Amino acid sequence: MADSTNHHHLGGASTSGGGGGDDGGGGGWSREQAERLLPIANVGRIMKQILPPNAKVSKEAKETMQECVSEFISFVTSEASEKCRKERRKTVNGDDVCWAMGSLGFDDYASPLRRYLHRYREVEGERSTAGGNNNQGGGGGGGGGRRYEHDDDPAGGGGGGGGPSSFKFDGI
Amino acid sequence: MRQPGIYSGILSSGRKEPHSLPLARIKKIMKRSGDDVKMISGEAPIVFAKACELFIEELARRSWNVAVQGKRRTLHREDVASAVAATEVFDFLVGLVADDDHNNGGGGGGGASRSNSANSSAGGALN
Repeated sequence: MADSTNHHHLGGASTSGGGGGDDGGGGGWSREQAERLLPIANVGRIMKQILPPNAKVSKEAKETMQECVSEFISFVTSEASEKCRKERRKTVNGDDVCWAMGSLGFDDYASPLRRYLHRYREVEGERSTAGGNNNQGGGGGGGGGRRYEHDDDPAGGGGGGGGPSSFKFDGI
Repeated sequence: MRQPGIYSGILSSGRKEPHSLPLARIKKIMKRSGDDVKMISGEAPIVFAKACELFIEELARRSWNVAVQGKRRTLHREDVASAVAATEVFDFLVGLVADDDHNNGGGGGGGASRSNSANSSAGGALN
């Protein structure tokens, strides 16, 4: 599902209206900076979930993490985009992102992400065939979900290591 | 037939909404990463939402280890900086977390280090 270069939601203004923008973390960031960061509340929540219950996180540590995540996104996107450019493709897709992770040394992420992506595609493929929204046509579920370009992760094809793949799709 | 928690096997908590980070914002950040980023498939921000979770978790965990070594229970910016310095795959962040960027938010410095470290750590992936 490719997207155009034009932002299809309102461009420019941040969702929080005037002021520095709650999303960016209050007094620390200008509104413009806030738009290039993920919301501090979300970032902080993910941090808290992984840390022990007695851990505290300073506001500046959360802000630093916001910066790091945005840089991470840019870093990986640049690599993925470069690959697309070399292959003369216009759209950066999920496989490109997974590939770029592996290419840049985030090997531990690449495999789980591929599985996540494949499962997402399965779900989307099921939804469109089951719901009568027949963009992909027939072919028994997942006809639209197999168009990825790389599949060099052997665990990503079917069972996925015996984890979550056994739930949810039976009997639909 | 209800599908309970479609992604709950993968996410750390089985929330009703599948993503813990706003996809539109992720997409904006992707677009800012370069002029040649024109079109982004719908699934790419979804992959990134999960990837960013993994990234935050790893960096937070490593930063926490630094704090613990310092016998502290509060994570500070310096702990994040130490964790970045100690982890090779986070080399692209070194310019960003340096103390002299503290007031600026370090947008420019991070950008410069990105392309350099891509060459050094990826071993010529861009060649």
